[in-house]
Amino acid sequence: MITLTNLSKIFRTELIETHALRNVNLQVNEGEFVALTGPSGSGKSTLLNILGTLEGFDEGDYLLDGKSVNGLPDSELSKLRNQKIGFIFQSFNLIKDFSIYDNIELPLRYRGLKAKERKDRIESALELVGLQARRNYLPSQLSGGQQQRVAIARAIAGQPRILLADEPTGNLDSLMARQVMELLEQINKQGCTILMVTHDPDQARRASRNIQIVDGQLHDSTLYEPLASQSA
Amino acid sequence: MEQFIYYLKVSLKSIKRAPLPYALTILILSVGLGVFFANATFYYRLNSDPLPDKSDKLFFPMTLITPYECNNCLPPRVLSYSNVQKLSNSGIPSAQAAMYSSAGYARLTLENLPTPVSLRVTQRDFFEMFEVPILHGTVWSDGSAENQVLVTKATALSLFGRTDVVGESILLDDITFSVIGVLNDWQMLPRLYDANGRNHLSEGADIYLPLETGYDLNYLSNTNSVSYDDTDYRQLATEGRAGALHQLQFWVQLDTPADQQRYQQFMLRLAEDEKSAGRHPAPINNQLVPITEIVDYFGDASGDIEAFALVTLLFLVVCLLNAIHLALNRYLSNQYEFSLRRALGASRSQLQLQMLADVLLMTIFSLAGALLIAYAGVVLMNALLPQNSLFSSWDIALIIALVMAALICSYIVTLYPSLRASFGSLNQQLKE
Amino acid sequence: MSLSLLLKVILHRKIVTTLLLVQLAITLALLLNSILLANQTHQQLNQPTGLELENTLLVQLKPTTPQLRQHPALEDLMQRQIDALQNIPNVVAASYSNQALLTQGGSNGNLYDVEREDTSNIESVPIYTTSPEFFDVLNVEVLQGELPSYSDAPDENGHVGIVLTESLAKALFPEQTSFVGLQLNRGPVRAVVSDFYGQRKRSPGNETLNSIQVIPPESVDWGYTLILRTTQGQANSVREQLTGTLQQVEPNIEVYYIRTLAEQQRELYSNEYGLASLLAILTALMLLVTMISSYSSTHFHVLKRNQEIGVKRALGASKGLIFLELLSEGWICTLAGAILGVGCALILNQSLSQVISLPSLNWWLPLVTSAILLLSVTLATWYPAAIAIRVSPATATKAL
Repeated sequence: MITLTNLSKIFRTELIETHALRNVNLQVNEGEFVALTGPSGSGKSTLLNILGTLEGFDEGDYLLDGKSVNGLPDSELSKLRNQKIGFIFQSFNLIKDFSIYDNIELPLRYRGLKAKERKDRIESALELVGLQARRNYLPSQLSGGQQQRVAIARAIAGQPRILLADEPTGNLDSLMARQVMELLEQINKQGCTILMVTHDPDQARRASRNIQIVDGQLHDSTLYEPLASQSA
Repeated sequence: MEQFIYYLKVSLKSIKRAPLPYALTILILSVGLGVFFANATFYYRLNSDPLPDKSDKLFFPMTLITPYECNNCLPPRVLSYSNVQKLSNSGIPSAQAAMYSSAGYARLTLENLPTPVSLRVTQRDFFEMFEVPILHGTVWSDGSAENQVLVTKATALSLFGRTDVVGESILLDDITFSVIGVLNDWQMLPRLYDANGRNHLSEGADIYLPLETGYDLNYLSNTNSVSYDDTDYRQLATEGRAGALHQLQFWVQLDTPADQQRYQQFMLRLAEDEKSAGRHPAPINNQLVPITEIVDYFGDASGDIEAFALVTLLFLVVCLLNAIHLALNRYLSNQYEFSLRRALGASRSQLQLQMLADVLLMTIFSLAGALLIAYAGVVLMNALLPQNSLFSSWDIALIIALVMAALICSYIVTLYPSLRASFGSLNQQLKE
Repeated sequence: MSLSLLLKVILHRKIVTTLLLVQLAITLALLLNSILLANQTHQQLNQPTGLELENTLLVQLKPTTPQLRQHPALEDLMQRQIDALQNIPNVVAASYSNQALLTQGGSNGNLYDVEREDTSNIESVPIYTTSPEFFDVLNVEVLQGELPSYSDAPDENGHVGIVLTESLAKALFPEQTSFVGLQLNRGPVRAVVSDFYGQRKRSPGNETLNSIQVIPPESVDWGYTLILRTTQGQANSVREQLTGTLQQVEPNIEVYYIRTLAEQQRELYSNEYGLASLLAILTALMLLVTMISSYSSTHFHVLKRNQEIGVKRALGASKGLIFLELLSEGWICTLAGAILGVGCALILNQSLSQVISLPSLNWWLPLVTSAILLLSVTLATWYPAAIAIRVSPATATKAL
C-alpha cells in the first residue's frame, strides 16, 4: 500500500540544514492501523504530510499503491489526495462559512460526483458519526468532539483507502477523545488503512502497530508483528 | 492630552505594521475627496452670489415691444434703445442702467501702436448698482453723450504706467477722450449683468464709456444684436436709437417687493399701451428676471460643471465605500489586538478615544492628499475647460469645507469598522 | 467548485459584498456614460465637413485704426493682403471672408423664396460675403450655374447673385431641381456648390446650410477672415510666414488667431473634448479604485482564508482549481455589479442628458463596459490569487 525507501526531507535556511527525515524506510500494508509517536519536532508531522502528498521530499522514493508519487504534477497529486487519502487534523480545519453538510460535500464536489451520489455518501458518513440531525449547523455551533466527528465524516465520505490523522484527539477532553478513537477503530475495521500521529501512549497501544520517530529516524517497535497476526 | 498622544502613537504603530492597506485607504479617500473638491471649486464659484447684499433687488426687464409677430415666444434677450427709454420712465427703480459690450483700440498718441481694449458702453447708475469701487475721480455727471471714460486700474497702468490719470486724455479709435475716473481692482464673478452667451464667465471690460457716446460713435455690440425691422445695425448713430435694433442689456434696482410689484404693473400697462398703439404685435409676455436667475433663464448654466458635480459626487461615494471596505479589512486584521486590549481592561470609551485618534490621523493624511489631487484637478480642468478658468480659486470658506469633508469622510471610514472590531464578541475573537 | 457554494461564500460576507456591488455598479455606470460621451465627441470631430481641414488656413484679424476699417482703405488693404498671401510659396489660393468657417455663431440672416415666404423661410443662415477666390480656396465643386465675380452688376433691387450650398438650395426649393435664377429675398440664385460645414447649429444636419455673396468689403465691424489653401502638407511652413507677411503689408492690424481648419474644428468642439477627456480620466481613476479594492479584498480574504485554502488543497483541490475559485468570486461579483450597473447607467444617463447633450444607451455598450470591468477585476485579483495558491497546505492546516 505505502512504501517509503530511503526517504529524506531536509529543511534549509540560509545557514543551516535540518534533516527532518533521514533515510526513512517504511512499508504499510492495507488495513493496518499505525500509530506514529515521538517527541515534538521529531518529524512525525512531516512524515504524515509527505504521506499525504501535502509536502514533497528531497531524496528517496514514495510508492503509493505501487506507483511513485515523485515528480507528479500538482493536478495529479490533488487527484490522488482527493480519491485515496483522507485527512483528520488536530484543529479540525472545518470551513467556517460552510454548514456541516457543505463541509462534508466539498471533497466529493472536487471529485466531480453527481448530486445523488454525493447525497448518499454524505448521509452515510453523517450516520456513521452520528450527526445527521446537525447537518445544517455551522461548525461554530458544535462542540469540539462533534467538530472532529464532522472532520472524520468529511475524511471518509470520499471512501479513501488511507486515513491520515494528525493528533486527532489533541484538542479534545478524554470522553470525546475516546469516542473519536472508537470511531477510528470502527473505520479501520471496515478496511481503511489509518496512520495516526499521537502523543498518548494509551491510544498508541490501541493501534495495530507502533512506530516511533526520533530525530527523523524510524524505530518500528512492532515490526511485522501485526502482519503476522493478520495472516494468522 | 498626554493620554491622547499615547493613542496617536498607538495609531501610528498600527499603521506601520501594515502600511500598504493604510496607504491604499488614504489614496482612495484622497482621490475621491480631491476630485470632488476640484469640481466643487468651480461649482461653488460659478454658483456664488457676487452681490449678496442686493442680488435680490436687481432685475432684468424684458418685453416684446417690437415688430415681431410670434406666438408663445419669449421676449428678446436684448432691448432696443427706444424700449429702454420707455422702461426708464417708470420712476420706480432706485437705480437703472442700460449697457452693451464692444471693443476698440486705444493709444495715447497717434505715434503709438493701438492696443486692443474691451469696452462697456453704459449709463452712470451702472457703477453704483454693481458696487464698482472707484479709485480716482468720479463717474459721468449725467446721461449725455460726452467723450469721457472710466478705465480700470490695469488699463491705466498699461497705458500710462500709473493709476491717477484723471484728467488725462486717451485716443480711443483715434478719437480723443478724457479720463474722468479710474476703477479700483474689481472682479465681479460671475459677471451676471452680462449673462448672455456665457459672457458672465469672462473678465470685465477695460474701458467704460457713456451709452449715448457709444451710439453716436457707432460702437457695435460684439455680443448679440438683432434687427426686427430694416434698421442697419451699422448705423447706430442715425438709425439705432429709433429702429427695432435690439442690443441692450437693461438692469433695474427695485428695493422692495412692493416696488417689484409696481414695476410689473408698469410693464404690463406699457405693453398694453404699446399693443393698442399697434407696436406690440405678439401676445404680451413680460419678464422681470432676478439677477440670481438670469443665467438659468438664458439657458447658459455650465452644464458640464453640473454634470460633473453629479459624477464626482458618485465617485466620492464609491471611494468612500471602498475606503470603508479597506479599513474594515484592516481592522479585522487587528481584531485580535482589539480584543486583547479589551481583555486587558480597556473600556469601550477608551477604545472610542483610540478611534478618534485614528480619525484624526486619517483626516490629516487624506486632507493632504486631497489638496494635492484637487490642485492637480483644478489645473487639469482649467486646461480642458478653459472657459471656466476664472472660477478656479480657493477661499477660506472652501478650504474649511474641504477640511470638514475630509473629517466627516475619515470619521465614516473609521467608525463602522472600528465599531465592528470593538463590539464583537470578546470571547470568540480571543479563542480564534 | 460549484456555483452555489461560491454564492454562499459571497453572500456570507454581506456588508463587504454590498459595498463591492454598489461600487462596481457605479463604476460601470460612469464607464458607460463616459464612453458614450467620448464616442459622441469622436463622431462630431469626424463628421464630414466638405473641407480640406489640414490644408486650409484661417487668419482672423482686424485693422486697429478706424480709417483702415472703412471704404476705400479697407478694400485696398484686403486686396494687398490677399496678393501678398498668394505670393507665398505653396499657397494655392487665398480669399477674404466676413466670417470664418467651423464656428459657433456668426453673421446670419433669414432666406426665403420670394414666391413662398411663409413656407420656405429659413432663419439664421450664415451669410458669407467674400472675394471671388473663396470657392477656389474651399475647393468646392460647382454643381449648377456660374461662380460670381466682383464685376457682376446688381439687379434692379440692388441685389447681387447668391451662391447656395446644395443642401440649402434643396431646403429652400424642395420642389425644384434646377435652382439658378430662382429669386430669394436677398437676390437671385447664381450658382449651387457642394456642401461645406459653416456654423455649428443646435439641430445637427443644418451645418451645411450656407449662402455666399461676392461683394467688395465696405466696412468691417468685428474683424474679418483671410482663408488660404496650401499644397498638400505645406500648411505649417506657410503658417510660419503669415504673421510676418501680413505685418509687412500693414502693421496696424491685430491678428486674433491663425489656425488650420482642423484646429478650428477641434476648437469648436473643445468643450465636448474637454468634458469627454475629464470623464475619461475620472473613469480611469474609478477603474483604478475598483482594481485596488478587488486587489485588497482578495488579498485580505486570502490572508484570512489561508487555512481554508490549505484544507481545500488537502481535500484534493488542485492549485488551478483554487485559483479559479478565487477569480470566480471576483467574476460573480463583477457580473452582479454590472447588471446593477446597467440600471445605474440608465439613471445617470438620464440625469446627465438634462445638463449636457448625450446620446442614449445602446445595447452593446453595456457588454463592452462589463467586459472592461471584468478584465480590470481579473487583473487586480490575479496577483493575490496567485500568492494564495502558493500556500503550503501542510503549514496552513497546522495553523493555530
